[in-house]
Amino acid sequence: MAAAMCVDDEAASAAAESAGVDKLDLGAAAGGKRSVYLMDCAPVWGCASTRGRSAEMEDACAAAPRFADVPVRLLASRRDLDGLGLDAGALRLPAHLFGVFDGHGGAEVANYCRERLQVLLRQELRLLGEDLGQISCDVDMKEHWDELFTGCFQRLDDEVSGQASRLVGAVQESRPVAAENVGSTAVVAVVCSSHVVVANCGDSRAVLCRGKEPVELSIDHKPDRKDERARIEALGGKVIQWNGYRVSGILAMSRSIGDRYLKPFVIPKPEVTVVPRAKDDDCLILASDGLWDVVSNEEACKAARRQIQLWHKNNGVTSSLCDEGDESNDPAAQAAADYLMRLALKKGTEDNITVIVVDLKPRKKAKSNS
Amino acid sequence: MVGLVGGSTARAEHVVANAGGEAEYVRRMHRHAPTEHQCTSTLVKHIKAPVHLVWELVRRFDQPQRYKPFVRNCVVRGDQLEVGSLRDVNVKTGLPATTSTERLEQLDDDLHILGVKFVGGDHRLQNYSSIITVHPESIDGRPGTLVIESFVVDVPDGNTKDETCYFVEAVIKCNLNSLAEVSEQLAVESPTSLIDQ
Repeated sequence: MAAAMCVDDEAASAAAESAGVDKLDLGAAAGGKRSVYLMDCAPVWGCASTRGRSAEMEDACAAAPRFADVPVRLLASRRDLDGLGLDAGALRLPAHLFGVFDGHGGAEVANYCRERLQVLLRQELRLLGEDLGQISCDVDMKEHWDELFTGCFQRLDDEVSGQASRLVGAVQESRPVAAENVGSTAVVAVVCSSHVVVANCGDSRAVLCRGKEPVELSIDHKPDRKDERARIEALGGKVIQWNGYRVSGILAMSRSIGDRYLKPFVIPKPEVTVVPRAKDDDCLILASDGLWDVVSNEEACKAARRQIQLWHKNNGVTSSLCDEGDESNDPAAQAAADYLMRLALKKGTEDNITVIVVDLKPRKKAKSNS
Repeated sequence: MVGLVGGSTARAEHVVANAGGEAEYVRRMHRHAPTEHQCTSTLVKHIKAPVHLVWELVRRFDQPQRYKPFVRNCVVRGDQLEVGSLRDVNVKTGLPATTSTERLEQLDDDLHILGVKFVGGDHRLQNYSSIITVHPESIDGRPGTLVIESFVVDVPDGNTKDETCYFVEAVIKCNLNSLAEVSEQLAVESPTSLIDQ
C-alpha cells in the first residue's frame, strides 16, 4: 500500500535530495517524478482522546480519509497549472479531513460538528468545483478557501441554533441542537498531496512540525487578543477578567460554533491558513487546549516527531504498511498521539484532551517479496 | 425581551419604560440595600405561559437545572426542604466557576417569591443575594407571566461595579431566556393552557 508520498524513481529522488531541494517538485520533471498534484496521498494519522480529570467528556474528533476531491484550482493559479501542462478545469486531488472539536456546556454541539462539518464541506467542494470553471480571473486561492470555510461554519452554526433546518433521520428538524449555552471550538485540516489547509474557530490549535520546528497554522481566538477584543467592544460587548479574560465575563474564547446567548459577540467565522507542503514537513498536530495549556508547540513537535521515528525504528517499515493501513489509524502516528495525551495528563491538565497527529513524511513502500 | 428596571445603580442605557405594575412590584418585593462596595440590578422577562407553569419551574430550589442551562446537577443537603436549606450546585463547563453553595432564604407560594443567597463556591460572587418573583399578566390576550429577578453582590477585587453587574446580568438573561423557552414549550404541550387563569 502507498505510504504518505510515492516516489517513482529512487535515483531521481536521491539526486533531488543531494541537490538540497527544499520544496517538492511541482512539475513533471525529466527525471520521471510525477507532479505533486498527481501523486496519491494515503492518510497516515493517529487520534487519542480522553476526558482526563473532568467529570464530562465534551471533546469530539473526526478523521475522514478521502472525504472529498479538491479542485486543483483551489491549490494553484491557472497560470501555474497551465505551465505544468495540467488541465486546470478538470483536475481534482483526493483530500483527507481531520478535525478537533472541544465542546463546553455540553457535548451536543461538538458531536454535531464532528458528523456534520465533513458533509457540508464535501457539498461545498463539489459545488465549488462546478463554479470554478466559470471563473476567468485568477482570484487568490486563499479567498476561495476563506469563503468556503466561512460558509460551512456559518451554516453549521445556523443549524445548531435552529435558524437553518437540518435532517434528523428523514425528518426536517428546526429546533436547536442544544441549549443556548452549549458551544464548541472547531479546528479542521484538509490534507492533500500538495497542501495543508487549516480553518480554526475558537481556542483549539493546529501546529505543523517542519524541519523540527513548530509552525503555527492557527491563532487561538482568545477574548484578550487585541483584534478580537476590539471587534467585540465595537459591537457593544465587554471582555471582563473573571478567572481569565472572558466574553461578558463568562466564555474564555471569542469565537465558537453555538453559544447563541453570546451572539453577536461570539462568532463562528474561522481563520484560514493555506500552506504548501514541503519536503521537510514532519507531521501535523491538531489538539484541544487540554494539550496546549500544558505543552508548548515546540515540545509537542519534538515529542511527536521522536515518537514516530521511534516506532519505525522499533517496528521496521513493513508492518506499518499493511493493507488496512490505508483507511485506519497508522500505528506510528497513533503512538505519537497517545504519547502527547499522556504527557498532558502527566503535566496536570484539568480539561478533556484530544490530539490528532498526521504523519506528513514520505516513507518508501516496502519491497515486495513475491 | 429581557429589560432592565431601575435598581440603585442601574445603567441608563438598559432602563426600559415601566409598564403596568412592574415598578410597583420592584418597589414592594425587590428591596436590596447595597453597600458602597456592592452593585445591584433588576431584570424583567415577559413569558407567554401561564404563571402557574412558570412558578412551578422557578420554585424548585432542589432542581434549578430544569430551567437553568448552566447547572449540571444539584444536591440539597438534609431531608427537609425549607427556608435555611442549603444546596450544592455543580456548574457546566464554559463558565468561570465549577461549584456554588446556595441557601434558600425565602419561598412564598402565595406571593410567588423565591429568595436565594450564595454562601460558598468558586464563582467570586461574595454575599450574592437574589430575589425572583413571578406575576400574572396578559400577552396578546392570553395568560402570560412577568418575571422579575433582582440581585445584590459584592464587587470583587480587580473588577468594577459595571463589570460585575454586566457579568451577573449576562448569566441571568440566559437563565430567563431558557425559563421562557422551557415554560412556553410546556404551555404548548398542556392541553388546558388556554383556559387556565
